[in-house]
Amino acid sequence: MTAAGSGHAGCSNPIDEAALMDYWLAILPSADEEAVEEHLLTCEGCGDRLRVTIALAEGLKKLARSGSLQVVVSDEYLKQAARTGQRVREYAVPPGASVQCTVTLDDDLLVARLAADLNEAARVDLSWCDAQGVELLRMADIPVRSGAPTVLCQQSMTMAKASPSNTLIARLVAVDPEKGERLLGEYAFHHTRTIPGPGAA
Amino acid sequence: MTVGLSDADLALRIGHGDREAEAEVCRRMAPRIHLYGLRHLRSAPAADDLVQQVLLAMLEALRSGRVRDPNKLAHFVLGTCRMTVAGLRRSARRQERLLAEFGSALVPDQPTAPQLDDAQLARCVQALSERERSVVVLTFYDEQTAAETAAFLATSESNVRVIRHRALRQLRICMEATS
Repeated sequence: MTAAGSGHAGCSNPIDEAALMDYWLAILPSADEEAVEEHLLTCEGCGDRLRVTIALAEGLKKLARSGSLQVVVSDEYLKQAARTGQRVREYAVPPGASVQCTVTLDDDLLVARLAADLNEAARVDLSWCDAQGVELLRMADIPVRSGAPTVLCQQSMTMAKASPSNTLIARLVAVDPEKGERLLGEYAFHHTRTIPGPGAA
Repeated sequence: MTVGLSDADLALRIGHGDREAEAEVCRRMAPRIHLYGLRHLRSAPAADDLVQQVLLAMLEALRSGRVRDPNKLAHFVLGTCRMTVAGLRRSARRQERLLAEFGSALVPDQPTAPQLDDAQLARCVQALSERERSVVVLTFYDEQTAAETAAFLATSESNVRVIRHRALRQLRICMEATS
C-alpha cells in the first residue's frame, strides 16, 4: 500500500476488500492493521470503500439480530442473544416427537432444538415438509459437529409471526453419496397462531 | 487554492499561518479520523469527539512547527489517534474550552454513510449455502471470533476465514447485481 496523500479519491494500490472487512472486524494481525491505518489516513478512495464495508457489516449485524433468517446456529449464539436481552423462544424436540408451538409479538428469536445421533454422518440435510410430508425446503449440508447431541435451527421470526396455524415436519437426514439417505430424526411442529390478525384461528 | 495540494504541502503552509490550508487539512483528515474512531470506539458520537480532539492536536502541532517532517503528517495523526483513543477510553471528559477557541473547523461534515437495501441483503444472505450463512450470522451477530465459530463448525480458524471471505464476496456480487 502506498500513500496517495493528495486527497483525491483515486488509489493506485487499494486495500483488498477482504482486508477492509477483517480490519473492521478487528481480526487483522497488528502489523497489517497498522499498514491499513497508515494508508487510510492518506487515501480517500479506500476510506470510501471502508464506509461501504462498514455499511455491509452493520447491515449484516442488523439482519442477524432481526431473527428473520432461517439458519443453523450455535449454543453460544443463543446465550449471547439472551445476554443482550433478546427473547428466545426455543422448542426442544427428541426424534419422533411432536410439539405444540407458537410465537408472540414479544419474541425475538425462534429456535428448534432437534436431538439426533449425528455420529458417522458426513453430511446432514434438514428437510422441512408440510403436514402431508411434502418437502417445502431443504437446507443442504448444514453445519454440524460430529457427536453433537442436537442441531439448533433458527426459524424466520418474520414468517412465524405472519404464519397461520399449521403443521411443519422437520427431518434430519444423513446423506451419503453411495448409500443414499438415512433418516436421523423426524420432528413435528404444530404451530398455533396466537397473534391477532389475518390467519388467526 | 489549496484543494490540489498534497497533505505535506498543506502542512507546510499551516506552519506559515495559512488558515485556508488549515481548513483544507481538516476537511481531508476529519473523515479519515472518523473512520479510525468508528473502528476503535464503535460509536459515531465518540468518533466525532475523536475527530475534534485529533484535529485540535494536529493544528496545534502544525502551527507551532512540531511536525518536523510534513511528509509524515499521516503518521503523526495516526499516533495522535491512538493516544486519544486510549484517553477517551479512560475518561469521557471533553475539551470544550479548546473547542471554543478553534470553533467549527474542528467539526467538518462527515461523508454520508452508504445506504444498503436491507430487503435485498436478506435475500442475498438467504441465497448463501447453509455453512456460509451460519458463518455470516455468527460472525456479525456479535462479532464472534473465528475461533468460536471454528469450534462450532468443528473446522479450522483459517477455514472459517475462507468461508467468510467467500460468502462476503458473493454478497457483494449479489448486492451489486441488483443495485
